Amino acid sequence: MANITKKVSWSSRADESGATGEGTPLLNGSEQPRHSRQLSEGRSIFQIGRLSTVDLEEEITSDEDSLRGRPKEIPHNEKLLSLKYESLDYDNIENQLFLEEERRMSHMGFRCLEISRWVVCGLIGFLTGLIACFIDIVVEELAGIKYQVVKENIEKFTEVGGLSISLILWAVFNSAFVMVGAIIVAYFEPIAAGSGIPQIKCYLNGVKIPRVVRLKTLLVKVGGVICSVVGGLAVGKEGPMIHSGAVVAAGVSQGRSTSLKRDFKIFEYFRRDTEKRDFVSAGAAAGVSAAFGAPVGGVLFSLEEGASFWNQMLTWRIFFASMISTFTLNFFLSIYHNKPGDLSNPGLINFGRFETESVAYNLYEIPLFIAMGAIGGLLGALFNVLNYWLTIFRIRYVHRPCLQVMEAMLVAAVTATVSFTMIYFSNDCQPLGPEHTEEYPLQLFCADGEYNSMATAFFNTPERSVRSLFHNQPGTYNPLTLGLFTLTYFFLACWTYGLAVSAGVFIPSLLIGAAWGRLFGILLASITTTGSTWAVPGKYALMGAAAQLGGIVRMTLSLTVIMVEATGNISYGLPIMLVLMTSKIVGDYFVEGLYDIHIKLQSVPFLHWEAPATSHWLTAREVMSSPVTCLNRIEKVGTIVDILSNTSTNHNGFPVVVQVAGNDEPAKLCGLILRSQLIVLLKHKVFVELARSRLTHRKLQLKDFRDAYPRFPPIQSIHVSQDERECMMDLMEFMNATPYTVPQETSLPRVFKLFRALGLRHLVVVDDENRVVGLVTRKDLARYHLGKHGLEELQLAQT
Amino acid sequence: MSPHRHGSFWGFIVFNIYVLVSGDGGNLTASETPPLSSVVLSSAAFKPGLGSLLSLNLLSSFPEDLEISDYCSQLLLIFGQRYVAYVNCLVPAARPVKVCQNCFSSYGSLTEIFSNISSDQVGPGNVSCRDSLLRSDRLMLVYELFENLKVLWEKSNCNNCITKGFQNMTSDTLHFMTTLNQTLTCFEQYQQKNKTELCTNCKTDYKNLNVLYGGMEKNKTMCIDIEDAMNMTRRLWSKNFNCSFPREETVPVIAVSSFMLFLPIIFYLSSFLHSEQKKRKLIHPNRAKSYSSLMNIQDNRS
Repeated sequence: MANITKKVSWSSRADESGATGEGTPLLNGSEQPRHSRQLSEGRSIFQIGRLSTVDLEEEITSDEDSLRGRPKEIPHNEKLLSLKYESLDYDNIENQLFLEEERRMSHMGFRCLEISRWVVCGLIGFLTGLIACFIDIVVEELAGIKYQVVKENIEKFTEVGGLSISLILWAVFNSAFVMVGAIIVAYFEPIAAGSGIPQIKCYLNGVKIPRVVRLKTLLVKVGGVICSVVGGLAVGKEGPMIHSGAVVAAGVSQGRSTSLKRDFKIFEYFRRDTEKRDFVSAGAAAGVSAAFGAPVGGVLFSLEEGASFWNQMLTWRIFFASMISTFTLNFFLSIYHNKPGDLSNPGLINFGRFETESVAYNLYEIPLFIAMGAIGGLLGALFNVLNYWLTIFRIRYVHRPCLQVMEAMLVAAVTATVSFTMIYFSNDCQPLGPEHTEEYPLQLFCADGEYNSMATAFFNTPERSVRSLFHNQPGTYNPLTLGLFTLTYFFLACWTYGLAVSAGVFIPSLLIGAAWGRLFGILLASITTTGSTWAVPGKYALMGAAAQLGGIVRMTLSLTVIMVEATGNISYGLPIMLVLMTSKIVGDYFVEGLYDIHIKLQSVPFLHWEAPATSHWLTAREVMSSPVTCLNRIEKVGTIVDILSNTSTNHNGFPVVVQVAGNDEPAKLCGLILRSQLIVLLKHKVFVELARSRLTHRKLQLKDFRDAYPRFPPIQSIHVSQDERECMMDLMEFMNATPYTVPQETSLPRVFKLFRALGLRHLVVVDDENRVVGLVTRKDLARYHLGKHGLEELQLAQT
Repeated sequence: MSPHRHGSFWGFIVFNIYVLVSGDGGNLTASETPPLSSVVLSSAAFKPGLGSLLSLNLLSSFPEDLEISDYCSQLLLIFGQRYVAYVNCLVPAARPVKVCQNCFSSYGSLTEIFSNISSDQVGPGNVSCRDSLLRSDRLMLVYELFENLKVLWEKSNCNNCITKGFQNMTSDTLHFMTTLNQTLTCFEQYQQKNKTELCTNCKTDYKNLNVLYGGMEKNKTMCIDIEDAMNMTRRLWSKNFNCSFPREETVPVIAVSSFMLFLPIIFYLSSFLHSEQKKRKLIHPNRAKSYSSLMNIQDNRS
């Protein structure tokens, strides 16, 4: 409360307003005399307040005053909101152009639109499946070559001596691959780093993350994933599939590529944020479905992450996209495996089948599973805390691209070193199984015909290691091997996540969990004398994997369904659900989920499911930004250009007001217009004078706005001559005539609900006579969050 | 008992002798022959008794068309003989595994008679034995018996070591066997003496064997006999004679890996010390003064 009032007390100073909050003017710009139009009664009260308190403030904050000239600088932390993120314009702009277009559109037109939505969803699924297939095949081939070369080298040097050379060879191989991956990410597209799930979560939440759904991002992502998995990092290729699916969706649905400068002239109707966001949720679902072979899980993922704006038809279409995606992957992988038509690879990760009698569970095992969930929650919380500190350090100190590349290479080299040392010193030798699931068995110092058990876990792609932990017969691993493996892989995975490479955290989490889960199962069997009959280690490995994953990412519904679908065993539904619930409860007691931590560390204005508790006493008046830059219904071009080109404010929505009668009466709200619309209007020079002189001038249509989407030109690129500055613009046709408004006394949770449910970007606060008092935007709401000491407020910062 | 049944019985005796003579290839050892013949004899002696037993317990008066034909019962008897012969061959070959090399010919004759039984061909008297022998009851005994052995055969991958038509072992297999024998002789030669001498002297033989085995493994031309023989040899080599590679370069490995582990520490320390910390510029947003704060301030003034 104290810091809130302090900040508020600053706000009414005129020269302070070089500030943010979409909709605040810069009053010190001397050539903008018309800005003070928004003078209202509320404002005059504030002025009185300011006058009366001005002396007091000067006394108290004289030293702070000196700082006021230059902005305060603080080291990066998680309690910031970045200015570079904007909201999506999810709300439909119902202006006159829109109504006209709707009137012109026939019944058939709407039908075609619906059909093309389905076509787009099918295409999204198909292309996402193809990308998954491509990644899988390339990773398999390249990793095969790498492991074969290293294996032959190790075999050679086991005999003649000089194994340290094999170690160096392995490390160099890894570093080289990872270097390529890190260079393309760090130098070409930093947004492609990490798993991409936090970014997609933000996008579905309604935040426009710059460059997140571009073609270039997709290319870097795919290349980066291949490099980092082949480079042997403790990462998976599943998380990035979700991002890839989202990019595919955003690209396909637009029917053109701005990067390639190709316009196929199709799907033009979908060129706006509303439609695009819907398709992106379909793409994310298709990505999940291709990654895990879990179409329903994919739909539920989109539902869980983007649940605020939802409808049933959309769900059905998303499900279609998911199904197509998993089928495509399945089909093409079956061709790759030379068994066309044998549809047994529904996802990138294949948990194998849990179908035999021995893996059925008993009622008395459920408490054990719950205990495993608690362990998973604890370990997950530890993972997240460690990764949190590491990420803060990285943001503060390792921010130059060359340093990021070096760091990634070091991690790759150390991963190889640690793995090699573990394998070298392991004494756990096991006979080769009859089916021989190990692709690259390493013998080293084991007896002939046996292989090093540690090597099956380390000397393998992580997906294969997970599967062998789930399915190898009891006795394949000894407890010491598993314990050491869990420990090292835990720290490696924690260290790896957040590097400047594109890679996911799903598989490493599953692997850690599977390892300690299997260990748990083995110990259980050794404690109970009769245990060997029911304590099948594979089952406990699965539960451990679920617990660990749940403890790290804290997803609920979708993760349960994904796990159930990936195992292909419905009867595991309840235990998996219980495990995930426990791990979430235990983990949330200590720290948030990994994705939420990263969203916070990126200073994204993310709106959670609910407004923070105990925030009902806050009203719209305290939340909103004020005063607001408003425009007249008929506005001078010069003013608009000046407002838009003001670099210190990057406002996006401007309430349009109308003067009632005479100058002394305050203006009333009549609409809302967006920056993008104004820019298009300026570009097409829709001025009143010009329209009068040239009667043949083509009337502006909605198509013109769509053509400029999504990269509206910056205001600087639009030339407005001195004569044109004196012209007038009539905003009547283009503005949204019925913007959502709330009275000043509305409580924060109510405003919050409106924002979440309607996907708003601007919410105008009006007084009882419909005069603009303030403007609430996403950043105004997202800054409140429940911290350790009650309600806290985040600060805005330039990043 | 009808007379022509006795006639067919004589046919069986003749057939059995043929089986015995044609034998189990060249591998049938002398020690295996007596029990086989005794089984044949006993079964031959048992046959009339069985017949009388049947006539006592069940009325032997099923109508003629439901009874199996002579031809079929003849086939059935041959099947029984060959079945017994094959099983008799299998059991002694269980450990060390020699099921393929010892018993392939008896398996061949067993499949031959089974394919006769199960073929569509109509025998004398216009009867097909497939239906009457294989699937006229729930038990399907003949079928099940054969199927069990077939599964065994397939599991042991013997087809990879035996030429088509169960004529002989493949040349690959024979070649492997000679190499194996060579190695084993070498082992025997040095076994009494120093173990380290064995390791050095038999290394080439053992290595050749391993290479050969590796090649067969890749080509998938292996059967259980070869796998088992190789396993035993490997166990001898690594466990009994202790000829595996020792772990002797611990120091260089530790040195290289600790150097690698040291690198990140240097990296993070230097980036902490030399890289400038990234700062964020704070921005103060414009807010309306809330009534409550206003009230507070006014209270203060008054």
